[in-house]
Amino acid sequence: MAGKIRAQLLKGTTTLLVLTVLRDGELYGYEIAQRIREKSGGAFIPSEGALYPALHALEADGALGASWRESDRGPRRRYYKITTSGVRMLEEHAQEWASFSLAMGQAVGSGER
Amino acid sequence: MIVLLLWVGGFGALAFFAVKLVRRSERRLGTGPSDYYTTIAPRPDADGLISAYLAGVAGQLVLPAADVAEVRMELIDHLTDSISSLEAEGMDHETAVREALGRLGPAAELGRQLRAAHQSTRRLLAGAGGGVFSAAGGFVLGYVGGVGLAFVLLIIGALCFGLLTLVGIPTPNFNADQNATPNSLMEATTLLVAAFVATRYAVRTSAGLSRRAPRSVAGFWAAASALVFGWLAIFGSHGQQSWPGVIAFLFVPVVAVAAAFVRIERPMPHVGRWSLILAIGGVGVLGLSLVLLLGVTVSGGGSNNDSPSPLVTSGPPDYHFGIVAPPAPDAWDPQGSIFGGGMRSDASGGQLYSTVTDPQAAVPMSTALAYWHDLRFEAWHSLPDDPTQGFGLDTKYSSPFAVLPAEIHPTWLQAVFHFERMRDAGFYEVVLTGVGPDGKRYMLDECGGGSTSFNGSVWDWITAPQ
Repeated sequence: MAGKIRAQLLKGTTTLLVLTVLRDGELYGYEIAQRIREKSGGAFIPSEGALYPALHALEADGALGASWRESDRGPRRRYYKITTSGVRMLEEHAQEWASFSLAMGQAVGSGER
Repeated sequence: MIVLLLWVGGFGALAFFAVKLVRRSERRLGTGPSDYYTTIAPRPDADGLISAYLAGVAGQLVLPAADVAEVRMELIDHLTDSISSLEAEGMDHETAVREALGRLGPAAELGRQLRAAHQSTRRLLAGAGGGVFSAAGGFVLGYVGGVGLAFVLLIIGALCFGLLTLVGIPTPNFNADQNATPNSLMEATTLLVAAFVATRYAVRTSAGLSRRAPRSVAGFWAAASALVFGWLAIFGSHGQQSWPGVIAFLFVPVVAVAAAFVRIERPMPHVGRWSLILAIGGVGVLGLSLVLLLGVTVSGGGSNNDSPSPLVTSGPPDYHFGIVAPPAPDAWDPQGSIFGGGMRSDASGGQLYSTVTDPQAAVPMSTALAYWHDLRFEAWHSLPDDPTQGFGLDTKYSSPFAVLPAEIHPTWLQAVFHFERMRDAGFYEVVLTGVGPDGKRYMLDECGGGSTSFNGSVWDWITAPQ
């Protein structure tokens, strides 16, 4: 039940999480999933099936750039890099999320009282 | 001169950037329909699960070849990392494969989501805009190529007719309609090639930019091109017309539709080394053909001078006015006041014919025409003013091809003929006739003539009264 709730909460936040981890540098798909998991202390486990469509949609919208190149330890990989437009999108999403979580916190807090 | 340079430079730049755009867009399209539906045959082992999964994803993609290949490579990379990680945690290979695939979710759903991500609205708009731009550039390129092709065909046609003439086989006389047949055919050829190239450029560019298979956007561009180029061919292109040219023009929308579908998966031919060599060779062949053609013409002209036509006589030429009506008896024009008139173009582009009364005697037209009624101007087919073909009216015809009642003014009669809107005017002669006191029609005056060709759009030609 807890996993289901987590998955529903994560739904729609993949874009924000992807843009957040890519703000720190270029990463490839599997690394992005791992980084999200690490940064959230294992709390967020993004659906891998939703990750790639999100990455490709962000690339199509111009928020991410992608390029194929050799990785440090292995074959050619597709690296994603945040663009200027992606940074703007991240700021907007982060602001929306902050407002949302504040409102949710207040609502849940007042319910408990 | 500056305006000409700007035009050439502007169109040249448009064509140049259109070629760059279509080439860039084509990089994602691959070389054939099989590239758009990549399938991977499953193998009957643990890795066969991966192949089957990837085939399931690719089956939903329907994207250009480059996109399909990239998705496939990226998923293989991801699964390799994921399986290695799971194996490091102690799973056996087959279980790790199943777990890694399970984390990606159902193949068909992933394929659908990836397809939707690639075919975004932004890319669709880019595809539409890029398609219009490259269509404009392709039209310029095609127009230039079409002019070249039209000239090549003209040279070939002229050579064929020249050879037929040399062996004594009669060939059509294009002078009768001021070369309207070859001219309209050349114009139609140019538009056919331009419409073909423009449509193909539009489909290939918009498919590449919008990340769609060319055949999936071909329907839209076929309809758009058929409408735009069809309108241009039928209503927008004005000039000399003939039936062969009109039929060729009517094929423009058909060619536009064919250009959008026929072998549309194949890349556009690009100008390379061999194209340049062929172009230079073509110019050489053209030059040689022209020299040969001129040679035939000059030698042909010489032989005609040596043997004058039997039609040329020493006496006054016979203009064959007898086929119109008997000449008006002098008795019914006692003062000799009905003068030869003349012709000129009027403000609307028509040919105005008039007959005047003697300006010296200042006889009113009502007096000069005391014996006459039902006066009319008649346009008759005539022979070209050429010693080898004779003079005057063409005796093959027994009636005029256009008749207008004479407008009676104080000292002149007139009528305006619009030969440029008559399909078979060619060489013509206009005469004035009237009915005399005996109830018979007589010819009163010869007003002049000339030659013309139809000038207007294909629609004007089809709807022309004659």
